Amino acid sequence: MKIAGSIHALVAALAFVCTNAAWAAAYLPASDTDVLEQLPLQSGSHADRMTRALQTLLARDPNNLDVALRLAQVYVERARSESDPRQLGHAQATLAPWWDEEAPAVPVVLLRATIRQSSHQFDAARADLQQIIAREPANAQALLTLATVQQVTGDLASARTSCAHVAAAAAVAIGAICTAAVDGVSGNAAAAFDTIDALLARPGALVGALHVQTWAMTLQAELAERLGRPLDAERWYHASLAIDPSDAYTIAAYADFLLDSGRPADVVALIALDTPVDVLLLRRAQADRALGSADAARSARDLADRFAALRERGDRVHLREEARFTLAIQGVPDAALELALQNWNVQKEPLDARIALECALAARRPHAVDDVVRWVDQTHLQGVRLAQLMREVRAP
Amino acid sequence: MSWTRLLACAALLLCASLAHAHKPSDSYLTLQIDDAAVNGHWDIALRDLDVVLDLDRNRDSRIDWGEVRTRIGEIDAYALAHLRLSIDAGPCSLAATDPLIDRHSDGAYVVLTLSGHCTGRIDVLTVDYSLLFDVDAQHRGLLKLETKGASAADTQVVTAVFAADGRRQAFAAGGTSAWHQLKSFIGDGIGHIAGGFDHILFLIALLLPAVLGRSGRSWFAVPGISVALWNVAKTVTAFTLAHSITLSLATLHFVQLPARLTESMIALSVLVTAIDNLVPILPSKRWVVAFVFGLMHGFGFASVLVDLNLPRSALALSLFGFNVGVEMGQLVLVALLVPLAYLAREKRLYQLVALKGGSVVIALLALGWLIERSLNLKLMPF
Repeated sequence: MKIAGSIHALVAALAFVCTNAAWAAAYLPASDTDVLEQLPLQSGSHADRMTRALQTLLARDPNNLDVALRLAQVYVERARSESDPRQLGHAQATLAPWWDEEAPAVPVVLLRATIRQSSHQFDAARADLQQIIAREPANAQALLTLATVQQVTGDLASARTSCAHVAAAAAVAIGAICTAAVDGVSGNAAAAFDTIDALLARPGALVGALHVQTWAMTLQAELAERLGRPLDAERWYHASLAIDPSDAYTIAAYADFLLDSGRPADVVALIALDTPVDVLLLRRAQADRALGSADAARSARDLADRFAALRERGDRVHLREEARFTLAIQGVPDAALELALQNWNVQKEPLDARIALECALAARRPHAVDDVVRWVDQTHLQGVRLAQLMREVRAP
Repeated sequence: MSWTRLLACAALLLCASLAHAHKPSDSYLTLQIDDAAVNGHWDIALRDLDVVLDLDRNRDSRIDWGEVRTRIGEIDAYALAHLRLSIDAGPCSLAATDPLIDRHSDGAYVVLTLSGHCTGRIDVLTVDYSLLFDVDAQHRGLLKLETKGASAADTQVVTAVFAADGRRQAFAAGGTSAWHQLKSFIGDGIGHIAGGFDHILFLIALLLPAVLGRSGRSWFAVPGISVALWNVAKTVTAFTLAHSITLSLATLHFVQLPARLTESMIALSVLVTAIDNLVPILPSKRWVVAFVFGLMHGFGFASVLVDLNLPRSALALSLFGFNVGVEMGQLVLVALLVPLAYLAREKRLYQLVALKGGSVVIALLALGWLIERSLNLKLMPF
């Protein structure tokens, strides 16, 4: 009774301190010129002018579908280029008059699918995309998005079929990259590498399409990594970043490559300590930790704050990153394993398999990832580090 | 399908499984209820306010304190137009003062100090939250609601999330709605009695002879319903009183017995009661038997409550609710069993099959439980 009472008091005190910490830090700025916040868009930039012009048009005529679609498209594009999920909420609000309709205009369904997929509502996104394909069987964009959803959720056979339809519908080159991406995670990384090599080597095959070029190059780098060809991987990561130096996906993948290669100093050079992008800050924190740097405490604390804030709002989008953070930075393997397994129920990409295996090994619970092991066996997923983890998990 | 659109999409896909950076939009609302007053503070991101109020008037892509300070009247009005507090008796007033600035994980927030008054003591506070949903469908309002008690330790805190499709929520002052909690404990009590075969069989063994009188080894039908009901009432009341006592003592940690002992004793009580129906071995006053063995069963009920790991403040409520649930379950059993037994009491079949046969079956089951529980084996299917 007494001990229980003291624990109760202690918990209450801790809760009080934690919840009041933020409040205690509130302050009255000393001067009108104190800069409080940096806005994401450069005032007067193309995206800024575009957003404002469309906002003004829509304010005059809120039910104008054409204007709403263009504005939502701008927001979705900004969500990608700025890695800012707030823009997805703006896009959804812009489409509010049509959002809850069963079958609104195809462009609305397509944006809805994209937004849902970005919020990891994969089932809802898949249903939207299948609805589009039923209405417009040759809608290449819907087929491509569907292929991605299927690949992320581990339905590789369906993803391959969707990619074939992309090639048939409109874009042979894009269909080929799409198929190579699926092959790359199902035991055919070498063949996929050759396909992409041929595409990238053929002048004009991907000309004028920078996004597609960087997509192919980053994929090629990942395939090279999986095949144990670090020099090729490095070359293609560099090529991709030379075209689009701010692409968060490529930076994250390259940072992982550098961490695996024992080059944390290069990660520190690649990713700024104040990056607003969680996935990048996670890599930076791992690098800081590996280097024993003075920044390690700060990046770890910032990440902990961000994950706490996301948990508070009920977001489950970051389980993979949170598992990795919990394992690599906080060093709590059991909690990390739980997160990794919850994540595995939703996503089945190579990184998801890898973090699950790493957590299970650290927590000494190899049988907790039997499903993952079976999955890697069945799909013939390749990878130097992955193969090593699989051997360790299987070791008696 | 234009090329550029397709390409933009392809690029988007690269990020498909990449977790989002920055953070979706949230505001942090903290309210304290103290009798008829509601006070607190509300943290709203400057980035979000810029979207609706265009704070960056000088277009330098930065928000400075001057741009916030000079617009604070508009900020207050905008925020307060999207938050409505009310009690049953009507809406509460709400005002914002003393703006400050705070930093959260995703940037700078304005902190509005809130003070409100309701027309009477706040028992249930209804919160209508509609900030920013019209411009950001994924915005969330994160509420922390504290109710002041007599001492700091009695202050209760509830948290809630408001979303575009969940803008209105009501809270009982004093934590999660007391009525909800009570209902859930009553449900636990009913569930425990309904799923606890040992308690049910004990009651059946106790109640089967309630419609009969005893002389030596033989039974006779009671003359009227009043005698039968009086027997039932005495037995059930004694059982209830007894298990309420031990349930309370154990839940409040005054007495604690190992589960294996109490569970074995419960099995023994069922066994002995059933045997007594065949051969008199217990005191002839049934309510005494019900009381003594009821003490055992109370410890059994308590183990369920202890497992629920209750907060201290909710203990009295949970004890009460759980007990009410147990009684309700018990009464249902009585209502099903006693009328049938009363109508059948004069039939020889009742005494032979229901009383004697039933008691033999119950005794055998209880013996199984006794062996299983005392020796820590797993024999019985339930």
